[in-house]
Amino acid sequence: MKAAAHLRVPAPGHRLEAFLPPEGVPISFTIASVGARLGAQIMDVLITYLGVLLFALLLIWLDILPITSLGALFIILIFLIRIPYYILAELVWNGRTLGKKIARIRVISADGRRLTPHQVTARNLMKEVEFFTPVSLLFGAGDLGLVSGLITFCWVVVVAIVPLANRRRQRFGDMIAGTLVVENPKTTLLADLAITRQPGAARFGFLPVHLEIYGRYELQTLEAILRDPPKGPKSHVEVSRVADAIIRKIGYADPVAPGDKPDFLTAFYRAQRAHLESRQLFGDRREDKFHKTGARAAARTPNPPIRPPNANP
Amino acid sequence: MSDAAPDQLRSARFRLEREPGWRRLEKLINRAETGGLASFSYEEARDLATTYRQAMNSLSVARDISLDLALLTYLEQLCARAYLVVYAPQQSITGMIARLFTHGIPGAVRRSSGPLAIGFVAMVLGAFAGYLLSVQDPGWYFTFVPPDMADGRTPAASAGYLRSTLYDDANNAADSLGAFASYLFSHNTQIAILVFALGVFLAVPSFLLTFYNGLLMGAFFATFAQKGLGYDAFAWLSIHGVTEVSAICIACAGGARLGLAIALPGQMTRRDALRHHGRDAVKLVVLAGLMLMVAAVIEGFFRQLVQSAELRLLIGWGIGGLWLIWVLRAGRNTGGGTL
Repeated sequence: MKAAAHLRVPAPGHRLEAFLPPEGVPISFTIASVGARLGAQIMDVLITYLGVLLFALLLIWLDILPITSLGALFIILIFLIRIPYYILAELVWNGRTLGKKIARIRVISADGRRLTPHQVTARNLMKEVEFFTPVSLLFGAGDLGLVSGLITFCWVVVVAIVPLANRRRQRFGDMIAGTLVVENPKTTLLADLAITRQPGAARFGFLPVHLEIYGRYELQTLEAILRDPPKGPKSHVEVSRVADAIIRKIGYADPVAPGDKPDFLTAFYRAQRAHLESRQLFGDRREDKFHKTGARAAARTPNPPIRPPNANP
Repeated sequence: MSDAAPDQLRSARFRLEREPGWRRLEKLINRAETGGLASFSYEEARDLATTYRQAMNSLSVARDISLDLALLTYLEQLCARAYLVVYAPQQSITGMIARLFTHGIPGAVRRSSGPLAIGFVAMVLGAFAGYLLSVQDPGWYFTFVPPDMADGRTPAASAGYLRSTLYDDANNAADSLGAFASYLFSHNTQIAILVFALGVFLAVPSFLLTFYNGLLMGAFFATFAQKGLGYDAFAWLSIHGVTEVSAICIACAGGARLGLAIALPGQMTRRDALRHHGRDAVKLVVLAGLMLMVAAVIEGFFRQLVQSAELRLLIGWGIGGLWLIWVLRAGRNTGGGTL
């Protein structure tokens, strides 16, 4: 069951691991969801059309241009906010339009190099066939005959399915240009939990045998719990349930008073991390509690071992 | 807590040692994201490069020695942000445009002879079909040409009226011509972009749309030709049409390159083929947009101001010849090509 859940990668949190900058250290970006991109697109349309409308009203109010020049200017502006706006904005702001800034997403080049003007032009030219024309056809769908209505329908379905159907959420324009739309990375550095500020935590000592059980996954799950402790009236119960589960699983013999359980968890986190990190330095990476150690690794069989019933971390 | 306390974990000491550098990088990134790299002093630019490389190195080391998820996430995001700042496009816009004109576009045209043939064949076939059908049965004219576009110029109209639409337009006040030109440009460019982008559906819609444009032109020409105004109509169409019709054909050629990349990718995967052919296809569309801008100016101003058929032919085909010289001669390595 766990394996099945692992296979189904959640759509919005999908990560791209293979992004390799020239420095050769792979970094990962989160692929933007189709919803965020659609939202950014709608924001862009609203902003640009509203801008042109306000500008036109201002000019009419100021009354400095004759009506025919006003018409010419207006036609040019409407043209400019359709495709050229997106090309210029993404060139000037390095892959972001105003809508994308609001939605906190941006365009990057899929090959790990700079975003080139060619890529920006290519991906935005295709916007005409992937967004503007289908949308304007849909708005006028009532007037279409059966055949043209059917063609419009197929068209809309095809351009809507393409970004949903591939792993990197690329639309036609992205494929031609070789670009990806990703979430803007945010940087927040949280405190290191191993530098403990709780004097009580020093009381607990752990034997090597206590630390052989868990792997990276459980350690980082515990880290998440410590960083963001459960809130509400039952928070004490939750924390002590986690502590009890760990005590039972690792066979910790010393008594732990109910009030000391948060300190115990902090101490255990530090000890477990020290242990796993030193194992890792020796080339022994332990992904999770199903890792094989020592004799078990030597007796490894080609068949995957039967997993023990799922217990609490 | 003192720095580098001896009882700390190796990964915690690593973090304590390197954190000031990361913070410095973060500050520089924040400045670059708001103010741009142009506002950096020499020291800051140098620091950005150094701290970026140090952060990349830290990330690489941290992946080996640390299991602190908060640290790993932070470093990864920091490096991603720094990467986006360090590898922001730095070409100057003018240099880029100059290169596009001297090398990019002419080269793309010369590499696209097959798709260009498809574009022009679509247009010529359409024009022939439209002409022949309309000559045989004027009823076809009404099938091809939408009534609002015909504007009274139907087969039923008198020769005198038709002649009046070719010469001495009443509404040639200079300021209304500007509005007309800008309308023509935005309308035609929209069509050209559509013709191009539709090419991704195996090039068939691009071909059909171009063919239909040819049909319109053929039917239109037939109406005039049957009233003995063939030469005048030809001159009237030529002055801007040489440039405008070629632009639509070139946009169609761009679409055809995309369509062919999907239909016949050869040794590459379809995605790679699309990306490879996309480079030239986009340049073709830029060329088409440029030509349409010129065509709109000619159509909006000169067609009404120039009233002689011979002069119209000369201007139209002369400009067409200039386009041809440009795309065939510019940017050749063998020298001699200047324009």
